[in-house]
Amino acid sequence: MSRLLGILLMVLLLYGALLASNFEDAGSIENHRNIARRTGYFGILTLGVGLLIISGGIDLSIGSVVGLSAISFGLLLEKRMSPVLAIVLVLSGTVLIGLFHGLLVTKLRLQPFIVTLCGLFIYRGLAQLAPILNFQALWANLAGFSWDQNILQGSSRDVGIGGRPDLADLRYLASGEVSGVPMILILMIGVATVATVLLHLSVYGRYLYAIGYNEQAARYAGIATDQYKILAYVWCSLMAGVGGVLLLLDLETAQPTAAGGLYELYAITGAVLGGCSLRGGQGMVAGIILGTSVLPLLRNLCIFAGIPSDLEYTVIGLALLLGTVADELLKRRAAARG
Amino acid sequence: MKSLRTLGWVLVALALTVLPACNRGPSKPRVGFVSNNTAEFWTIAEEGTKKAADELGVEVVFRRPPNGTAGEQKDIIEDLLTRKVQAIAVSVNDPENQLDFLNRITDRIPLLTQDNDAPASKRLCYVGTDNYEAGKEAGKLVKEALPDGGTIAIFVGKPDPLNARQRRQGVLDELAGEKDAKGPKYGKYTLLDTYYDYVDFKKAKDNAADALTKLRDEPNVCLIGLWQYNPPMILGAVKDAKREGKVKVVGFDEHENTLLGIKDGLIHGTVVQQPYKFGYESVKLMDAIIKGNKSGIPANGLMYIPHITIKKDNVEKFHQDLNKLLGK
Repeated sequence: MSRLLGILLMVLLLYGALLASNFEDAGSIENHRNIARRTGYFGILTLGVGLLIISGGIDLSIGSVVGLSAISFGLLLEKRMSPVLAIVLVLSGTVLIGLFHGLLVTKLRLQPFIVTLCGLFIYRGLAQLAPILNFQALWANLAGFSWDQNILQGSSRDVGIGGRPDLADLRYLASGEVSGVPMILILMIGVATVATVLLHLSVYGRYLYAIGYNEQAARYAGIATDQYKILAYVWCSLMAGVGGVLLLLDLETAQPTAAGGLYELYAITGAVLGGCSLRGGQGMVAGIILGTSVLPLLRNLCIFAGIPSDLEYTVIGLALLLGTVADELLKRRAAARG
Repeated sequence: MKSLRTLGWVLVALALTVLPACNRGPSKPRVGFVSNNTAEFWTIAEEGTKKAADELGVEVVFRRPPNGTAGEQKDIIEDLLTRKVQAIAVSVNDPENQLDFLNRITDRIPLLTQDNDAPASKRLCYVGTDNYEAGKEAGKLVKEALPDGGTIAIFVGKPDPLNARQRRQGVLDELAGEKDAKGPKYGKYTLLDTYYDYVDFKKAKDNAADALTKLRDEPNVCLIGLWQYNPPMILGAVKDAKREGKVKVVGFDEHENTLLGIKDGLIHGTVVQQPYKFGYESVKLMDAIIKGNKSGIPANGLMYIPHITIKKDNVEKFHQDLNKLLGK
């Protein structure tokens, strides 16, 4: 519990400051719904990377995977593919991405930082490439073992699903509400439940902590470390894929160059604020969710407290740093007292 | 136990800070102005909104999405709605796909589009440049720079945005002397290519350098930059190729280096928009609309802010005025 105290205080403080900035509007139900929706969205990504960080891994490609998923999902919908099939395809793709990362990290023993950093570039590049790929020409080339058709056509463009009433039901997932509670928050709670069962209520969770705390010891204890590490990468990329699908459904538009940009940093920051140690072996689902809410709260505060746009990043960075320092000091005090 | 007590104190302290805030009530009309990125262009627009705010006694909430993404912009607009702005002016990110979202705004408050329009939405009015006409103006500059014709190349960030398409077509139509001109010959001018850099400045410069290499044996060359950073990047490449003065450059917008280039005689001219007036007129119009006076909205819903051509003869004064606005 003491490990959650720091982040709990920080969230409460931010929340108090937000209400103090402008009680009438900031305290309105509408604003709470907005914050809940944003926390719900980033919560899914943060829970994804949180479990991975606990197992001692890291994923810098989250934002690019979000972007690539959003763009591919949009392109499939443009081709009038059934939305369910499109979602299944996109999410399967992200599972493959996670598997790819996991295999490179475990079997080739590459550093997760560099593997996923390369991923960051590759998937962003693919997101930019996807809108101009002419699949018919590509298949024709492949079928004829030739290279005579031009597979790139046009130039990169935004992908969108505006003006598609047939997708209204699906969009409900990202922007709908159930008796006033944003659907996306409910989705996040679903993900959090799965994560809690995995992490706190099953033996797999113990294994993840053990691997993150001391991988060698875990291996000597007979845990199939590679298998669980790969699982953590797959989980993280899958959540990023879910994030991409939801991003397109929510915004109805995605820019190949920008969609999902920096989201990996938001997710990692949220997880670390929430008590995950980048050294692995530490972290809880409740903390991750609290940590996630810090950034949406801070941004909301900037607007309601009238902090100029130019100061926003500085304020956010300093607040995060202060929170981290306070949290660290609290933890040390708790540890010193035993 | 100790920690619980600390928590209790923090909560009490929070409650105390919250209470006084309840007394604040709305006094002035409040309007929002949201850009689509953080370019310096918007600093000038912000000055215009401030001027109107002072004159009319309006509170303007001016916000820029730090990374220029549709997601950030949406969050900002939602927060401004919650903050009860009574009207809002937005530079739209993706006019075709964000209709639902834009129309959800218009369900609640009057919406103006500025800088980038969404004509299919229920916005009341667009405030901004007529980019096709601005393009034709740039075309005239090209004709002045290369009166006997020659080879041109066009440089811009992206192919898709409406302003990029309109500016490009305006330039080409002016050169061809007809509407919807299709190349590759436009009157006495040949278009080498249109280069896109996806707002990567380095790529923008490399594009210009590549074009210069292709055109190394051409005597009459004019390079045209359609977005704010394009003319300086073109000029950089021209200087690297040691062809400054020989290769003509025509541009858009008022980048510092573009203005300096005009002063040095290395850039023939630039067509500038008036973001200051975007800000000023938007706030003025929103204030009138809030007060129930919609007579300021043109019948076609398009309030065009005239563009200005800057050449060697008027660059000095323009630059001074601009620096004053930017507080330099």
